[in-house]
Amino acid sequence: MFTILEKTAVILELELRKMKHDQSDLLIRAIQPVLWLTIFGSVFRQFRQLPIGDVSYLSFITPGVLAQSVLFIAIFTGVSLVWERDLGQLDRLLAAPAPRTSIVLGKAFSGGVKGLFQAGVIFAIAFVMGVDLIPNPIYILGVIGVVFVFGVCFSSMSIFVTTLLNTRERVMGMMQLLTMPLFFASNALYPIEIMPRWLQIVSLINPMSYVVEALRALMITGDLSRLPIALGGMAIATFIFIGAAALAFRRVGR
Amino acid sequence: MSRAVTVANLSKNYGRIKALDDISFEVDEREIFGFLGPNGAGKTTAIKIMLGLTRAAKGHVEIFGIDVQSKPDKARENIGYVSQNLSLSNEITGYENLLISAKLYGVPSSIRKSRITEIMDLLGIQNRADDLVKKYSGGMMRRLEIGAALVHRPKLLILDEPTIGLDPQIRLVVRELLRRLVNEFGITIFLTTHDMGEADELCEKIAIINNGRIGVVGTPTNLKRSVGGDTIQFDTKEPEKAVSILTGKFGVTKPIAKNNTISMIVNTAETILPLLINTLARAGVIVDAIHSHRPTLDDVFLKYAGSRLAEVEREGDYRHVKEVRRTFRRMR
Ligand SMILES: Nc1ncnc2c1ncn2[C@@H]1O[C@H](COP(=O)(O)OP(=O)(O)O)[C@@H](O)[C@H]1O
Ligand SMILES: [Mg+2]
Repeated sequence: MFTILEKTAVILELELRKMKHDQSDLLIRAIQPVLWLTIFGSVFRQFRQLPIGDVSYLSFITPGVLAQSVLFIAIFTGVSLVWERDLGQLDRLLAAPAPRTSIVLGKAFSGGVKGLFQAGVIFAIAFVMGVDLIPNPIYILGVIGVVFVFGVCFSSMSIFVTTLLNTRERVMGMMQLLTMPLFFASNALYPIEIMPRWLQIVSLINPMSYVVEALRALMITGDLSRLPIALGGMAIATFIFIGAAALAFRRVGR
Repeated sequence: MSRAVTVANLSKNYGRIKALDDISFEVDEREIFGFLGPNGAGKTTAIKIMLGLTRAAKGHVEIFGIDVQSKPDKARENIGYVSQNLSLSNEITGYENLLISAKLYGVPSSIRKSRITEIMDLLGIQNRADDLVKKYSGGMMRRLEIGAALVHRPKLLILDEPTIGLDPQIRLVVRELLRRLVNEFGITIFLTTHDMGEADELCEKIAIINNGRIGVVGTPTNLKRSVGGDTIQFDTKEPEKAVSILTGKFGVTKPIAKNNTISMIVNTAETILPLLINTLARAGVIVDAIHSHRPTLDDVFLKYAGSRLAEVEREGDYRHVKEVRRTFRRMR
């Protein structure tokens, strides 16, 4: 157990060092949320009848946009893993005296940490754009926790899927296929109540919805009544995906 | 002398392809042992099984007495591995790459730094330690790669085509480095190559491998001697006549004519060449061009693998070299 954590930390360190040297990545990733917030936020502001409570539409979608950009980062974890395998960079990790699970965990945690950086960027943008964020440090800690776990959860899912799919082309296609529905069939951009019935059902089993709900409670509304459900849902999904990824990864290169 | 590697009756199939077909060999401590064979021979597959990365269908591998299948992590603590692809992270510095390797292999934190400095000095890249690897030349990347495999002071270094895609003078640098590792640090080296010059010059022992099978194992000298003698080749316009004159004379083997070229193996070319030319001249056969060579590993390959290495090689090898070169470029 101790070895797994120790080696996980090494893999995580490797990923963070890569990120440290290439910060342009972080900046490029900030562009999309800015576009979402400015364009979508201002266009949809017109529809005053959206049942979003007494917050501005911009405030309403900020947690959704945060969740979406963390989703993109997390999904990329698996893509980069396949890329590294094809380059041969994975060989070095596989040939080291480290449990394979630590490679999965290290990569997944790196997805969580990258998500946190992204959260920082989006907090800054939202602040500049005048979104009413709850300034309570405990709530902010909560956001940090949710973003991290979410990043880990979807990085694991991405590792699981890419490991199963095996080829880079299939992975890219699948990821595109996956991210869009996850995002649009959730409560990220509009409240569940206005969706058609079938979409409401999809969105209820969509893990994104729980994440957005938790983030929205912690960042904007302060209404924590449904937080335990959201956190519970996330915890379950995270355990399942980490387990699935670790199992699938055992076959890599065999 | 003790045993570094024992491989017994290894077989591995990929679908219908027999990547390895019952191979066995042993590597002694402090020796440079080479797998010589063309692209697709099964070299990389053998290495992956030796590292416990791939499971064999049959057979058994021990590294310094440790069974790889049952205790892969324990076995790997003794192994440094340099894969045929570039496996370093190009987005971080050379120093950081060595640091990560040191941590992965559990080098204690108190000696990590000095160990890394020592290796950087050994590789002659100390002044580039803090540059991103993507700014390195192909030769420097390869050296760093070897360095990363040495941070935990392994007793065995496994290298998969260590000089592929490198310029000739950099190949020499890498070979020199490998020799130093054996002579000064007592490391055992297992490497693969498709370059017979490299195998001949660098390896103390060679296994000829083709189509997943080992044809023969031996020292380069003994293998070449086993070919039976020097090869003489000459061109003439009257090949049949020449063959009939020479059959039973001089040669260890019967002369073989291919188009207008005749080749035969003789004991020592120096003494036989003048006699042979005289004999033919007296019978009125004119020799247009003649040359002889000492047995090469290519002749060995022909004898034990049934084809010329150069012939199997060319197409696949070219593609492989191109691939590695592309990776070098992509890394930048
Ligand atoms: N993962 C794999 N899947 C299917 N076939 C493979 C795989 N790896 C190797 N092979 C096949 O096994 C044979 C031996 O390959 P390899 O060990 O890579 O040869 P070498 O390293 O000597 O060039 C080749 O025919 C190759 O195509
Ligand atoms: Mg190979």
